[in-house]
Amino acid sequence: MTTLLQSFRKNRALWVTLLVLCITFLMAVRGLVDPIAEGGERYKNVVITILRGLSTGSIIFLVASGFSIIFGLMNVLNMAHGALFMIGAYVGWTMAVRPDTVVDAFTPLVLLSAGFTLLPFLDWSLQKLNLPKVAGGLLPWVGLILAIVVLGFAFPKYPITSWDVGSYEISPTNYAFAASQGQLVAPEPEGFAGISPLVGLGSIILGGILAAISMAGFAANRRRSGAGTGSTKESLPWKSFLIFIGLVFLGWIVYFFNTPISTFLLNIDTTWLFILAVLVAVATGVLLGALIEATLVRPLYETHLYVLMLTLGVSSIIIEVVRAIWGAPEFTMPRPSIFDGTGEGCPAESLGALIEHKCSTIQVLGGRVRTYNEIFIPILGIVVLITVWILLQRTRLGMIVRAGVQDSDMVKALGINVQRIFTIVFALGVGLATLGGVIGAPSTGLTTTLGDSLLINLLVALAIGGLTSYPGAAAGALIVGLLQQFIIKYGQIGIHIPFMDEPFKPTPPLVPAMTVLLMVVILLVMPNGLFGRKE
Amino acid sequence: MTTITSPQTNGLGQFFKNNRGVLFSIAGLIFLPFALTLLDGQSIGSMLANESGLSKFYQGLAIEIFILAIYALSYDLLFGITGLLSFGHAMFFGVGAYLTGIMLKSFSWGLLPIIGLVAVAGLVMALIFSIVLPRVKGITFALVTLGIAQVFYIVIQSREMADLAGAEIGLQGVTPPAYLNPVEQRLRFYYVGLVVLFGVYFLYKRFVDSPTGHVCVAIRENEDRATMLGFNTFYFKLVALTISSITAAFAGAMHGLFHPIIRPGIASSHYTIAALLMILMGGIGTLDGAIIGAATFKLLSFYLEKWFGGTSQVIIGVVYIMLVLFLPYGIVGTWKLRGVRLRDGWRDFLQRLKPSQTNND
Repeated sequence: MTTLLQSFRKNRALWVTLLVLCITFLMAVRGLVDPIAEGGERYKNVVITILRGLSTGSIIFLVASGFSIIFGLMNVLNMAHGALFMIGAYVGWTMAVRPDTVVDAFTPLVLLSAGFTLLPFLDWSLQKLNLPKVAGGLLPWVGLILAIVVLGFAFPKYPITSWDVGSYEISPTNYAFAASQGQLVAPEPEGFAGISPLVGLGSIILGGILAAISMAGFAANRRRSGAGTGSTKESLPWKSFLIFIGLVFLGWIVYFFNTPISTFLLNIDTTWLFILAVLVAVATGVLLGALIEATLVRPLYETHLYVLMLTLGVSSIIIEVVRAIWGAPEFTMPRPSIFDGTGEGCPAESLGALIEHKCSTIQVLGGRVRTYNEIFIPILGIVVLITVWILLQRTRLGMIVRAGVQDSDMVKALGINVQRIFTIVFALGVGLATLGGVIGAPSTGLTTTLGDSLLINLLVALAIGGLTSYPGAAAGALIVGLLQQFIIKYGQIGIHIPFMDEPFKPTPPLVPAMTVLLMVVILLVMPNGLFGRKE
Repeated sequence: MTTITSPQTNGLGQFFKNNRGVLFSIAGLIFLPFALTLLDGQSIGSMLANESGLSKFYQGLAIEIFILAIYALSYDLLFGITGLLSFGHAMFFGVGAYLTGIMLKSFSWGLLPIIGLVAVAGLVMALIFSIVLPRVKGITFALVTLGIAQVFYIVIQSREMADLAGAEIGLQGVTPPAYLNPVEQRLRFYYVGLVVLFGVYFLYKRFVDSPTGHVCVAIRENEDRATMLGFNTFYFKLVALTISSITAAFAGAMHGLFHPIIRPGIASSHYTIAALLMILMGGIGTLDGAIIGAATFKLLSFYLEKWFGGTSQVIIGVVYIMLVLFLPYGIVGTWKLRGVRLRDGWRDFLQRLKPSQTNND
């Protein structure tokens, strides 16, 4: 009892804020109770709104958790997180709707990344060679230019099944519909245009190796000027060769069995395709995250502000690239078939019927709840919440991350390779963002502004919860999600304000405005957010 | 405070000596329309009568650069000099532009009262930001300002404001006063823009050299230390924020006068990032850099758009990343801080461009 009192005295602002939030929440819930309806149906609106809030909050949380861990550990405010979320959505959509395109794109990407697996070997050999200063300075630039030339020669000739974005101008709605169903007539891949496959695939591998050489050269120069820390390995890293050969082999196999794999993927059930889409999107996120961290963020760790500006640039590039590849129209992603049944027995009356008929909606207290949006997404959000929590609390990596959030210099001093941990955490954080993107895609749809709007919500949620705190990210995401859905609901039914005849209906622009207002108020009371660490 | 000595600015000769480059640029810009006319083979008379031609086109481009330069200057004062990272700067610009447009179109006010109103609006916005100013610092301040600006961006796009602000399409049909019409009186607009830009520039230079400006720089370098020395940092930050917001609102007002359509995009966070990009190109914390950066940014985006079309944004993004990685001090910053001398050779030059090991947070 005394400890409770003490904790109350210590965190008075937190408790009062939480109390006020709870009272506001209960009042908002009370306003949604339908006084006319009978029995349990009175709470129909309440349940549906809370479920929707949980759904919105889950998506925000998936992205925010990675963002906050990255910020806490390495002080990098990754403004590209929203754009990477969008990448997850688009890549997932492509896998779910046009798996053949993903199969086509798989080979060149794998062959390209094969070169980068040689990095340990290249690092090692550059250290052994110990090039003279001028040659060492020129090598990375020459490698980069040659890589761009070689890739620029081979990549445009690679046969990737694409859809005709140009026809968008004829009828946007038809195009968007056809695209969302994956029904656009695509040109058949005819093999490499103009060059033999051997030369084409070979030059992609070569381009990857050249790019890797350039990267290793830059790293060596940094090491020489004393900025980077690198360990000298004595023995030749053989493992990287094995991975290289394995990846090249994989790329060639997929190239030669392209048609059967595509046909197989086009004919399997959408649930399996959805699972594949999630896996592909997360893998894309992890790889992209590792790439961004290793090439762009790492040289600038010491200068936080420049990292922030850099990630802003990365964000705008990603958005433009998405616009160039997928075009401007909005897409909708099909739901997996186990959440998409509409036939007999639907909407489901009970949980058993839901599982039996794979219904898209379920009857709850006389209202319809969408299975995917309002049940699956919150459950997944909670699963991820617990998984990441366990990862942070019970594993060695999590322990290092927690220690690094508190004091990264001390962790470094204890002899832990912080750079590797940084890369892993950045990659996993971006992986979580892309997971959020692909999971959220069926409910929100895909637009090129998806990332921007999410980034705002994410920043608001984190500012409310506390920037570096994991529970804070969860709480902030939950608060933002619930608040938004409650305002949307009140926008439909209106608020009865005393002494006013017409009920007041909050308009859609009020939704973000209210969340930002809440953020400002909470930050005024608690400048570090609800669960933020005191500076 | 008396211990801080400002550079010698008394005496006209000294002034000329200190600002030689700027004064030459002003002289060049004054003669630019005439030079372009001669280059085009147009007669001076027709240029003075604002007939269309090469000169008129480049005057338009230059006016846009002037407006962007004022905007970049105001952001440089806030971020580069005082060290307040704000992501809501586009709101100041947007408020200026929209107020001008709405007052001209819906209320048919004259230009002078509008200028007064814009100044008051800038002050009010600075006061709104100042509510959070003493409590949140660093990144959190950036987030709060981003949030506030985003609300404004959403509000001007809303359907409820469509009669006044024109929703997503933007504010159309604004008729600027006849004596400052950007089409019929473009040459006059050009010189007005030039005067305003360099007026703002010299005022800012005076501010930075003043004791108040010195404290602002001290706050950027180390706020705790400035507090320890007995300065009420909130007051100085508020002064910088107010000057910056009023200037940005004026830049917005000029934008509203010059452009036939005021698009809501000017109030989005992308426009704040554009300001950041401009001062990054020119050199953060250098006032000359803001102007040069704005010119570089506008010319770069204009010509890249012309040559590459849709992919130009990607190229600008790549240029931006390259700047952050390899040229963090910008054009003027590299020139001034690092003292580039050509005879030091290219290698030495590259050596100097490496991001420094100092903390910049």
